[in-house]
Amino acid sequence: MPKRVLIVDDALFMRNTLRDIFSSAGFTVAGEADDGVQAVNLFRELKPDLVTMDIVMPYKSGIDATREIVQLDPSAVVVMCSALGQESLVMEAIEAGATDFIVKPFRGEDVLAVVKKVLGE
Amino acid sequence: MPSTSHKYLTLFVAEASEHLATLQSELVRLEQEPPAAPLWDAIFRRMHSVKGSAATLGFTRIVDIAHAAENLIARLKGKEGKIERAEVDLLFAATDALVKEIVKLDKKEEDESTITLVDRLAKAAQALPDPALSARPVPPPPVMPTADPSLPRLDVSVVLSKTCAAPGARALIVQRKLKAMGTLLEMEPTPAQLMQQKGGARIAALLATLTATDEVREALVALPEVEQVEVRIAPAARPVEEGRPLPPPPVPIVSPPQASMRGQATPPLVRGLTPPPVDADELRPEPTVRVRAEALDQLLDQAADVMHGIARLREAAKRLPEHVAARLDGDIDRLRRTARELHGRVMSARLTPFSSLTERLPRAVRDLAHRLEKTIELDVQGADVELDRTVIEALGDPLSHLVRNAADHGLEDPQTRERAGKPPRGKLTLTARRERDKVIVEVQDDGRGMDAAALRRKAVKSAAMTQEAADALSDDAAYELAFLPGVSTRDDATEVSGRGVGLDAVQRKVESLGGKASIRSVPGKGTTFVLELPLSVSMANLLLVQVGGELYGVPLHRVLLTTEYDLSARGGEGFDARSLVVMGELVRAYGLAKLFGLPSLAPPGPRPFVVMEVDGLRFAVSVDRLVGQEEAVLKPLFPPLDRVRGLSGITVLGNGRPLLVLDPRGLAELCGIHETSKPAPAAKGAA
Repeated sequence: MPKRVLIVDDALFMRNTLRDIFSSAGFTVAGEADDGVQAVNLFRELKPDLVTMDIVMPYKSGIDATREIVQLDPSAVVVMCSALGQESLVMEAIEAGATDFIVKPFRGEDVLAVVKKVLGE
Repeated sequence: MPSTSHKYLTLFVAEASEHLATLQSELVRLEQEPPAAPLWDAIFRRMHSVKGSAATLGFTRIVDIAHAAENLIARLKGKEGKIERAEVDLLFAATDALVKEIVKLDKKEEDESTITLVDRLAKAAQALPDPALSARPVPPPPVMPTADPSLPRLDVSVVLSKTCAAPGARALIVQRKLKAMGTLLEMEPTPAQLMQQKGGARIAALLATLTATDEVREALVALPEVEQVEVRIAPAARPVEEGRPLPPPPVPIVSPPQASMRGQATPPLVRGLTPPPVDADELRPEPTVRVRAEALDQLLDQAADVMHGIARLREAAKRLPEHVAARLDGDIDRLRRTARELHGRVMSARLTPFSSLTERLPRAVRDLAHRLEKTIELDVQGADVELDRTVIEALGDPLSHLVRNAADHGLEDPQTRERAGKPPRGKLTLTARRERDKVIVEVQDDGRGMDAAALRRKAVKSAAMTQEAADALSDDAAYELAFLPGVSTRDDATEVSGRGVGLDAVQRKVESLGGKASIRSVPGKGTTFVLELPLSVSMANLLLVQVGGELYGVPLHRVLLTTEYDLSARGGEGFDARSLVVMGELVRAYGLAKLFGLPSLAPPGPRPFVVMEVDGLRFAVSVDRLVGQEEAVLKPLFPPLDRVRGLSGITVLGNGRPLLVLDPRGLAELCGIHETSKPAPAAKGAA
């Protein structure tokens, strides 16, 4: 069974890039959300194996969305996608329950290395 | 660089450009209102989004600028008191630089100005307190972790990968993992100490746990960016408090279990993104997809093709025997209705909000005001009124022209305004509103108003009309003279809007869209330019005429009537301009072939004439043949045809042949009607 991933980012550019990375590595992209509210709703609906979560987004930040997702499912695997210079936000996200993080700019193999590790593969 | 990224380069450019355009208006708002947290958050988010995507593509200059700007924005948000003009200027400079970078993405060499700009942004940010530090929750009072003294102590050493971009966050994950396996007694350096450091850090920890050393090692090795792990049983004799030297004062390592996980105060930047009292679900816009504008153009072309195809079918069906044709007719009619509907839907998908035109204006007006040393408040109303993309695109220049004109000539400087008993800040209002199948766009200023007498003088001086004709004009009619080429309300050309201000160009553009431009003005109170625009330009009823073997279309809404006349009977061939009697009135007549320098293929004798009306002026042009009428989908002219006076668009006929569409106003100018005619332009709209 390929692992199912939910991609959350407000930039279509980033979503497309991540989608390509995951698809080429044999993941199934179960859904995409462009803000925190949609992320929580889609998580509830899709129950993905993995969520990649942008931090700064409209309506609801990635940190709040992560907190809600982890409350819904304490075993949820949420990997934050942060940009350089956001370390304090990433740390906050980790405290909110994020499993791990990747820092933009990233290469496909960086993303997959982190993701495979957190999924225990 | 993953090759996948370049696939989305256009997408990046589109998204980033959109963000930067909106950013400009938001920056202008910073100066106009006491900025609230949501405005700061929006500004931050845009800058941040550009940075994130650019980083993925490896555009370091964009990342550098956006990053520096983002830092400044974060600090400005936390700043108390007024935001300085210089600070906003810097953010504008950053936005401009980003726009420039995005426009010429392929250049590789380092730009000197980028370095200076990044430096200036950084300096400005350094001058302000860092909200990330000041706003971070005060750590709880140090609680020295305690553990059952009988538990084995493990010395743990973890080396983080050199490429680790956020060692503080990575250390936090290591810390969480350790805490999950026992009681963490010491950890050095702490995650907070590792923040903003480069990778390659070595972390030493003391863990009280029953977990086996191998198990602890495996758990840590499984973490990303962890390179080296050593786990040893610590010498049992060593008391916890004395062990290896710890940095004084003792740093809290284990906080009460839940406090750090949940309910911790969020730094303001992120908290502000989540307005608590509103249900965020309600704020979400309808789901939309992004479609390339070009794709919609193609769709429109194809919908038009279908309509033309059906028109041809209808023609062909006419030649069939009647009993067959009757059966086909109904089907064709249904098909035609569906095709029309399809065309209409594509048209409405192409509708673009007025805001796409106005979002750049606040910035432009701000810069203008600073340059002119005026204070100007810009108010945009009806930003969500929608127009066809073609209209929006064509309207950009005329609109910014009118705004520049109003800022430069319409609005007075603060001193003059105060002397006139007005508030020193001039007001510029842009309004768009829908009226039936039209959209009315108004550019209104509360400035000095137009000078009717000066306009009359200028019109006479530029030989646009005689003194008598000018004197006969009402003031309201005289304001419209500003649309004549070469008539300006001021003598001094300025850097901002130049001499003559090209209002004639504005009018020509609006009319080429099938719209109308008019002026209302009250001396001392201000001027309003009113643009009446069609919702869409693409469907037009055309009168097809033939000249020199070619077909041309004349927009029917400009055609008064057609008639036939034999001018040769009244004085030989080769006329340039003669007169016809139309509805009891003498109307100047011109040869269309002659105007365009085409051969006329019509035999001598009676010829058809098309009588047109522009601005209340009537004139007739002769053609070789009147061919018929057709509803057609108009497309804008492409270079160099767009520079031919007298043409306004192009369309494709049912038989697949292109058809040039004539521009009656351009024709009137070609005929030199404004110079030779006496009648005054009709007054439109009362002030």
